Amino acid sequence: MKAIFKILGKLIGLVLVLFVATFALYMTNGENKLIYYVVRPLLNKHYDSQSRNRQI
Amino acid sequence: MNLNFEKPLNMAIGAIDKKLERFDPLWQSEHGTGGLRSRYYDKTGIAKYREWRGCRDTMVDYVAWLKNLGMMGMMVAKDPVRMMKGFWEYRWMGSFLGSFAFVDRLFEGYRDRELQVSALHSNTIVRTLCGLIGTIIGNDRRLGGGPDSDNLVGLDETIPTLFFAGFPTLKPEPMQTLPEFVICDVDQHIEPYYIDVAESYGLPADVCSRCAAETGVTFDDAFPIFGKMVISTNQPCNASEATSMFQRRRFHREGLLDYPFAFAMQHNEALGNKYSAQELRNCIAEIEKVYNVKFDWTAFFEAARRVNEQNMIEMEKWEILATPYSPLCGISETLYKLVEWAIANGRIDYFNDTDRKVIEIMRKSVKDKYEPFQGKTRHRAFLWGPSAVYYTDFPTWTQNCWGLNIVLNMDSTMGHNIINTEDPEQALIDLAKFSEKGVMRHHAVGGWDNVNAVWDWAKKLNCDMVLVNDNVSCKGMNGVHAMLEEQARDLGFYFCFVPHDLEDCRTISRQDMRKAISSYMNVVLGEEPLDPTLVEFDDSEAW
Repeated sequence: MKAIFKILGKLIGLVLVLFVATFALYMTNGENKLIYYVVRPLLNKHYDSQSRNRQI
Repeated sequence: MNLNFEKPLNMAIGAIDKKLERFDPLWQSEHGTGGLRSRYYDKTGIAKYREWRGCRDTMVDYVAWLKNLGMMGMMVAKDPVRMMKGFWEYRWMGSFLGSFAFVDRLFEGYRDRELQVSALHSNTIVRTLCGLIGTIIGNDRRLGGGPDSDNLVGLDETIPTLFFAGFPTLKPEPMQTLPEFVICDVDQHIEPYYIDVAESYGLPADVCSRCAAETGVTFDDAFPIFGKMVISTNQPCNASEATSMFQRRRFHREGLLDYPFAFAMQHNEALGNKYSAQELRNCIAEIEKVYNVKFDWTAFFEAARRVNEQNMIEMEKWEILATPYSPLCGISETLYKLVEWAIANGRIDYFNDTDRKVIEIMRKSVKDKYEPFQGKTRHRAFLWGPSAVYYTDFPTWTQNCWGLNIVLNMDSTMGHNIINTEDPEQALIDLAKFSEKGVMRHHAVGGWDNVNAVWDWAKKLNCDMVLVNDNVSCKGMNGVHAMLEEQARDLGFYFCFVPHDLEDCRTISRQDMRKAISSYMNVVLGEEPLDPTLVEFDDSEAW
């Protein structure tokens, strides 16, 4: 019984931590800021340096 | 012991909402302390923080976001290496990273039941697009191929895929949907790049920026390569013919066969309908020959039944849309219908589940006399607009800024006839009719009656206003300008043209489109905005 409560406690703790982390990311609009200011500029630099086969 | 937590929970939520109401942009605009645009960094369209909608509605939006995040995460986790290769290879794949911001801006200012409906719709759309991206990138021969590379059939984005249900071992995948058709809604800067590629090749500017962008994708060698053949079409209008020719050359270089599937342009005519049915027969025969498969009518009828159920629900939705009590409206309605019709088309069963849930919410709203947007709607408009109401969050803006509810868009009236599910011959005739009244086509081509139908729709839906998206390059609709204006006057509708250049935001910006509405609302109707922060803002660098 004690072990079950322990596992249950850990599960609730994990869910709580996941909720706090994802909710913080959601409210701060973190993923969009990261993509807009970091990921996309790097990707665009790569896309601009590509040489494409433009013969059809 | 009967514990009832509802009352104390409601009290606690009420207390928190009261405490935090000053962060709610709707409260801010009512009290002159800000509004929906206050939380954005200038020009970028990136919000400093997400919208506070009160406890319950913020949680509804958070859960919808979490589900979208999970579906995108699962898509990458299934084949992370291939997905990274896709991002590295294709510029348009990078644009899909803007999807979170895209969904946010679609449903800004939504609360309560309109938010619940939009959450259901956004989850269904994201799930479908994740499936589409996963299948296409996972089987792209350019990236190494996959288990279904030979079972995929490339087809033009505007061909309805319902008839493919008769080939259960094949997967129809629209060629242009990812690099052009959907992504232009997510990122306004992606298609100008491809338009420039087309024009820098020496081509004169196309009358349609959609076709120009597809041609640019062709020249840039940015189509994924899969399947054995590509089915091209003359849909939605003849403007796409040159595009098809360029694409054909590219696909031939990659060893793909092509087959032109031409629908009748005069689709109200019985003879045109028969012609399209014969085209369907020919196309089915060609697929049977190339893929060595046999058309399975039982499988087709099963999918047709799903489409029939969707259309029965759709017609009930229209009845509710005619009342002031529909939480389904604007982009939530039109974008979902577009994806359901153009991509799912009876082949994906979870769309029926979503439809059943949404119609339940709508029925309940009529029963409760629930008015969406806190009853702030001042006008009801029918929109004559191309696919996904370019730009996509425009109906959201019209409601939030001016209380102008876009009840229905013309694209949502696409093929809604019931398809016979017992007789193959009649089913083909019905399917031809269903397909002819396709994306960007039902009210745009095939004669004056189809254009003129906007007034009937506006009347049927109890609208007092009609908005017409005016593609400044497209000569097709330029010819009917004065006639539409005259008719609006005669029939007593408020009427406004909204200029746009489809996929080229450099010619007509989003702010230019908004300005057309704001000038009309302010100068002609003498009205004041609901949210002054939305009247003029710069989102030129936004996705």
